[in-house]
Amino acid sequence: MKFAYFPGCKISFYMKDYGISFEALMENLGVNLVRLPFNCCGYPARSKNFEVSILSSIKNYALARKYNLDIITPCKCCFGQFKHSTYWYGQNKELKKKIDDILARENLFWDGNTQIKHLLSFLHNDFGIHEIEKRIQKKLPAKKIAVQYGCHALRPFSITGFDNPYAPKIFEELLAVTGVKTVEWSKSTECCGNPIFDGNPKLSLKITQNKIKTAGDDGADYICTACTHCQMQYEMIQYQKQLNNHTPTTVLFTQILGAALGINKNKLSTTGRLPLFPC
Amino acid sequence: MFKGALYISLIISVSGVIFQLHRFRKDGQFFNRSKNENHIKSFFHIREFLLNTFLQTKLFKAGKIRWGFHFLLFLSFLYLVIVHALHDVTSSVLFKSYDPTVDPYQFLRNLTGLMVLTGCVAFLFRRRFNIRSLQDKSIKHKGVFSIILILLLVCSGFLLESSKIISEPVFMEMVEEYSDLDEETGLSDLKLFWKDNYNVVFTENIKTTSNGLEKGRLLNEEYCLSCHSNIKSAFISNTLAKTISNAGNILNQYRIDTKFYVIHYMLCLSLLICLPFSRLFHVLLIPFASSRQNLTLDSFLENKAFINIASLYACTNCGYCSRVCSVYPNFQITGNQDVLPHWKIESVKTMMQNPGAANWWRLHAGNDECTMCRHCTDICPSGIDLQSLWSVLDKKLVTMGYTNNTRFILDTSLKEWAKKEEIYTGLIPGDALSSNLADRTEAFENCIQCSICTNVCPIVDYDSNQNDITPQQVMNLLRLGKKHLATGTRMVWTCLTCYSCQEHCPKEIRVADILLELRNAGSNRADMIQQRPIGLINR
Repeated sequence: MKFAYFPGCKISFYMKDYGISFEALMENLGVNLVRLPFNCCGYPARSKNFEVSILSSIKNYALARKYNLDIITPCKCCFGQFKHSTYWYGQNKELKKKIDDILARENLFWDGNTQIKHLLSFLHNDFGIHEIEKRIQKKLPAKKIAVQYGCHALRPFSITGFDNPYAPKIFEELLAVTGVKTVEWSKSTECCGNPIFDGNPKLSLKITQNKIKTAGDDGADYICTACTHCQMQYEMIQYQKQLNNHTPTTVLFTQILGAALGINKNKLSTTGRLPLFPC
Repeated sequence: MFKGALYISLIISVSGVIFQLHRFRKDGQFFNRSKNENHIKSFFHIREFLLNTFLQTKLFKAGKIRWGFHFLLFLSFLYLVIVHALHDVTSSVLFKSYDPTVDPYQFLRNLTGLMVLTGCVAFLFRRRFNIRSLQDKSIKHKGVFSIILILLLVCSGFLLESSKIISEPVFMEMVEEYSDLDEETGLSDLKLFWKDNYNVVFTENIKTTSNGLEKGRLLNEEYCLSCHSNIKSAFISNTLAKTISNAGNILNQYRIDTKFYVIHYMLCLSLLICLPFSRLFHVLLIPFASSRQNLTLDSFLENKAFINIASLYACTNCGYCSRVCSVYPNFQITGNQDVLPHWKIESVKTMMQNPGAANWWRLHAGNDECTMCRHCTDICPSGIDLQSLWSVLDKKLVTMGYTNNTRFILDTSLKEWAKKEEIYTGLIPGDALSSNLADRTEAFENCIQCSICTNVCPIVDYDSNQNDITPQQVMNLLRLGKKHLATGTRMVWTCLTCYSCQEHCPKEIRVADILLELRNAGSNRADMIQQRPIGLINR
């Protein structure tokens, strides 16, 4: 299998751990990642300029189309933006024409034949849970994990087609094969608070703190994310040390699965330390 | 006279460097560093410094062909400066056999000259033909001056050498100095030999005889050969000499070689003087810039960033940063050049030196788009810590009152916003495309005010003491034809875009999409109200 790897803007500087663990995971599963000169997915521009946000992802699609590749991303906001853009590109004729003209100036075109995959839905639907199960090297300690689904992949279902938006299950199913236990968390599908961090940091962090608190109340040791922005948001709180010792901390899905697949720690984390394994 | 001119140029050059450093310091005060920032450890990356100074590794990563030309030019120019220009203090001391007219030095001088020439021409060619739309005229012409100066210097060098080759007076001077030959002891034979083999042009007509040639050859071996290799190794100057030999007599009569010497020498000195004032300064600034990368994840999260002003002037306007810029599509739609790093860095310089001339809103709008992906910083061949600059700039613009629209609208009460409605309604630019929901009645008329959207909205829950209206009330405002009022509501601007409302709506209204569209429209209106020059941006 071969994919164009879309890391998104934040991975190269903020979230190096997510980047390297994702790449190590894909390498372990035999998925070939191709790096293309992508630009931003357009998600940050979504609340400022509609045209910019749609053009950004369509341009990425066109670039991947040139190499006949589908795109895979570990970020749910990028994934959502790609899906969103696909929808509006098809809906709005005027917009389509404007974008096509801009693409043509750079010898690009897009015929709609490029798929965007998110890490989770790819593993669950395309790669197959049984395939992953076969490759599991060691069962992880049965820590209790709450999963953060991430809004932009989950909703609106009519556009993203990720999983059942009211009762999603793919994240839990994927984690179950590693040996960890997932907990029922009432706020599993609620927003992490990151989208308004720039405009209203106070409110944004209030939401996140409340989420962490409820996860702790529901018995979780860790909150697992599979989205760059969710992870950044939880790490921001941890960084500001606004937590006491009993609240759950955040862990990346790629690191959990990677560890279960027996990938070397140093390939999963820049510091060589994984949250789940203090040793 | 030459010595005096040299010392004067040296003094000008050195004081120029000092002047520039002083200016960097003054520019730095513009960002008036807080104590906090000064605490950031400044690292000296010795490895980066060495690699990027002598091998230009960052340029190699960015573009192989350009690196090839640049490296050849760099090596050749370095050779010429050290071995040729400074030969009094370097090569004559280091190499015992050194003489400018002896191989390999004669050959190498021509070869390196040619390589510098190729590099210069390649640079000019690229500037002329191979520049993408992202290069503006004023940037396109930067650095051309110093390249032309180098070009002229090398050309004058070749002309000097070829005019010396054909020169009879120079030949006679040499004969007087290094031999005791006169007409009777075979000077004419030597002339004959030199005319044939070294392309000297003589006024008198010398008859070619095989006997004379043979004698000349022997005399040449005796007196000249130890200092004069075969002239063919000076492959450029020799060809040039053959070309101008027809006019040789006139040129010799006017001692054109001495004129070229003065020109060559003066060009050399002007290059020295220009060093701190032109693009040439990058040879000193890039090593400095590449040894310093201050932004780390920790310092960034602690909201500290720090820039070295001098490193900003290491920018050579190569444009690689803008090619990899993540938000390039924004430039394609809005036409705001300040989105692009290579342009933004120029605007920052303008801002520091001449704050009145800077277009602050445009710069703010451009910098606000930056996603901090670090692509520009990673590729910058000069090793400038661009991402530090963007985050420092962001803070600076905020302290000067240039905030983004979210802040502005959240600080404006709905009452004030509504008052401004009448004044600015007609000014909203209508050509920007949108998802086109808020203006179409069928997109929201089905709302039955069931308030499910409100019940599932996290913002209504978390922001209950400050939030003004709920999503379902926004739909109602639209039905009342109050779209512009709705664009300024807190609900629209604190929406998490989590799409819970839209997913749960029993009437399948695109609630979140409508809120986003209203935010886009509100952003435009806020631009108008603050009289931002968005007319400039929208093309």
